[in-house]
Amino acid sequence: MNKLKYIFFATALALGMTSCEKDNYDGPTAGLSGRFVDVKTKELIEQDIILGTTIEIIEHGYASRTPQALIVKTDGTYANTMLFANTYTVTPVRGNFLPVDSQVVDIKGQTTLDFSVTPYIRVQDVSIVKSGTKVVATFKLEQNVINNVKKIGLYAHSDARVGEPMRLVASEINLNAPSDPTHVYTLEIDLAANSNTLKPGNKYYFRVGALIDAGEAKPNYRPAVRLDI
Amino acid sequence: MTINKLSFTILLASGLLFSGCNKVLDLKPTDKIPAEALFGDPEGVKLYMANLYYQLPIEDFTYFRNGFNWNSGDPNNGGFAPAMATDEAVHTEFGDFVGDGDFNCWESSYKLIRDVNLLIDAIPTLAIREDEKAALVGESAFIKAYAYFALAKRYGGVSIIKGSQKYTGDAESLKVPRSTEKETWDYVLELCDQAIANLGDGVSRRASKWTAYALKSRAALHAASLAKFGARAPMSGAAVNAKLIGMEAGAATAYYEACKSASLALINAGKFELFMPNPANPAAAAENYRQLFQDPANKEVIFAKGYTLPGAFLGHNYDIWYQPAQVANGWPHPGRMNPTLDLVDSYESYDNPGHSSPVVTSTDGNITDYNGYKASRTYIQFDTPNDIFKNKDARLWGTAILPSTLWKSIPIIIQAGYVKPDGSAVIRTNDHIDIGGTTYYTYGAASTSQYSGFDTYGGNNTRTGFSFKKFMNQNAPIVPGWNQSTTDFIDFRLAEIMLNYAEAVVESGTGDAALAAKVMNDIRKRAAHTTDIPLTSDNVQRERKVELAFENKRFWDLIRRREYHTEFNNRMLHSLLPLRDLRALPATKYIFVRVDVPNTNTKTFQPKSYYRPIPGIGSNGLIQNPQY
Repeated sequence: MNKLKYIFFATALALGMTSCEKDNYDGPTAGLSGRFVDVKTKELIEQDIILGTTIEIIEHGYASRTPQALIVKTDGTYANTMLFANTYTVTPVRGNFLPVDSQVVDIKGQTTLDFSVTPYIRVQDVSIVKSGTKVVATFKLEQNVINNVKKIGLYAHSDARVGEPMRLVASEINLNAPSDPTHVYTLEIDLAANSNTLKPGNKYYFRVGALIDAGEAKPNYRPAVRLDI
Repeated sequence: MTINKLSFTILLASGLLFSGCNKVLDLKPTDKIPAEALFGDPEGVKLYMANLYYQLPIEDFTYFRNGFNWNSGDPNNGGFAPAMATDEAVHTEFGDFVGDGDFNCWESSYKLIRDVNLLIDAIPTLAIREDEKAALVGESAFIKAYAYFALAKRYGGVSIIKGSQKYTGDAESLKVPRSTEKETWDYVLELCDQAIANLGDGVSRRASKWTAYALKSRAALHAASLAKFGARAPMSGAAVNAKLIGMEAGAATAYYEACKSASLALINAGKFELFMPNPANPAAAAENYRQLFQDPANKEVIFAKGYTLPGAFLGHNYDIWYQPAQVANGWPHPGRMNPTLDLVDSYESYDNPGHSSPVVTSTDGNITDYNGYKASRTYIQFDTPNDIFKNKDARLWGTAILPSTLWKSIPIIIQAGYVKPDGSAVIRTNDHIDIGGTTYYTYGAASTSQYSGFDTYGGNNTRTGFSFKKFMNQNAPIVPGWNQSTTDFIDFRLAEIMLNYAEAVVESGTGDAALAAKVMNDIRKRAAHTTDIPLTSDNVQRERKVELAFENKRFWDLIRRREYHTEFNNRMLHSLLPLRDLRALPATKYIFVRVDVPNTNTKTFQPKSYYRPIPGIGSNGLIQNPQY
């Protein structure tokens, strides 16, 4: 009986050790990274970290057409360093710039792909300063499409990735009209009225954004500034 | 092993293999009833029908984000209710919102649809009268319509399985691609019409002409709203391109028309009426409204899901989870439904008809300051912890337990702290102060069994300042165990149908506006309002919000009108802190502070959540909804 037990055990062990052999594929070795750049100013196009621009990639050679999504970082760069080398269809979607066409990309090793795009709105001449018990932002807007500007906003958060979807406090104005390129827009956050969320003595990030009125469009931004309040 | 033994084994194995065709293995299973036997007997059909009704995706007391009929042997879901995914309520502890895996119904719906299709196949063969057959045809159509409605409002266009499928060895032939969203809604309404044409006009607990009209009224309004308001949340992707989700705005007209005619059929049926339509005063109206749900045996009810016996898969758990802590009767986890200040603000005040009446706590009238108590601010002092709600709509009093109101003859103490004579405050910190020989406690009483608010002890006390009353059984003490509640759930009632009609008229701009205004004001009269208000979109929506609160309608109102992502964009929900103001001693005075719900985060609804993810696309080959 004891012998049987050993035989059984040895067999089970042998089966257990060997069974994994056949499906041990290599891990992903390739990757795709790059930047979203303003076609005119050559600057990076700022994004949201959540609900921001995404890049859909569809790997060729499979029946499934379900895309994988790459998230674009707040500064307008993106990277996925763990992809399988293959041919992909790459499409940036739901962005804050004029839609761009899909392209077929051979991803081999760490591949770089930059997108030169036209942002819906250029937020310009931004100044965000603390003035008394308020944080005041002034800026100009230059829009590149004829749509209305839906809203403009000043957003505050303790994290540098602050934006419309990620804020502790927002001060917004619904414009619902085309913007005036010569007008200086002003937004304020009253620190005293938000003392429960923006605690005096701490540092917070402030960022201005403008949202075009187009389906699934995301806001355009300038980099956040950090203020001591 | 010797050669001999081996050959014997082979012989034995082949013997078994080759004898497999012998009749000895053609036994009928003794734990299953063959289809012919079940459907051959009218009693069998009744049993089968009971099972179909049980599977109906009714969003009742056992509806939970993980599915329907959440009342198994251990249905411990922490006391989470779908209302907590809206602005109606928060949980005492959880901050959960709408996740990808929540509120799905794909598999359960298709299981029900298959079961109905099998019955439909059998109906012509049954040995019953023709009128009984027609009734079964109608009932099957109603159940199927209900299932497809549940699918359409979650997934958009879905695979329509019109007849039962047979597996003949080829799995591919069983795959049915998604229909467009419009085709799916049209199919739901077509099934409703089939049901209406075949069902009788009696009123019972089973489907009738009237339940089919009610389903049609609700479904058509949903479809019309999607068509009209879809542009508020545009989407893109393969499912959109194939029209599997989304409808043209022009489709709204016909759907509103369908809603109006179905609603009118019910309003004019002469079979249904509002329960207690003419109350003597607001207090009576509040009690009537409470009674309507505690015992739904009245003529307002069109369709109810009944509960008769306690026990697993029989009773439900609303009473143990949601009655206030003071009446827990030994149950360790009460008090989990916390109606929000946001909902409370929505109710009208009798002295300002036609407007939401936010709770004003300070002389400056500022209702948007949620930064907490400030000694420098002048708060309005009240004689009792509920005087501040004195003029509010009776339905608030019938829906929520307000601070220091009676429940089961006990004053329910909900207090967040006190203001010391020097103006400093103790809020949500367990403490007490002795003044003139009397001890005053943070939570209004000395021990955890004597109050129901704000102490985080056990997660049993409200953190919004309001406890829950609607649907609660006042007549019996809580039985501290699972599935002990047997209060019936009203699925369709006349008030909803009236509001469907009012909404369809005001949103489409056609129909009998006078009648629409009348039915809306009839509902308000039942809540002791005496001044009629005009028929406007805002008035109808406010009326829906307060009249149908906690009936799991608000979630779908936000979905179908595409208001979820704008209502919930970094949304913080709010509480009302009642504080004992000891500056007023020897007088007894209370003040109130509007604050963010303590220990909670903001909530954001992602537009992709307007459609739920379709499971199993790897094998069923369906086109997925966007962004999943």
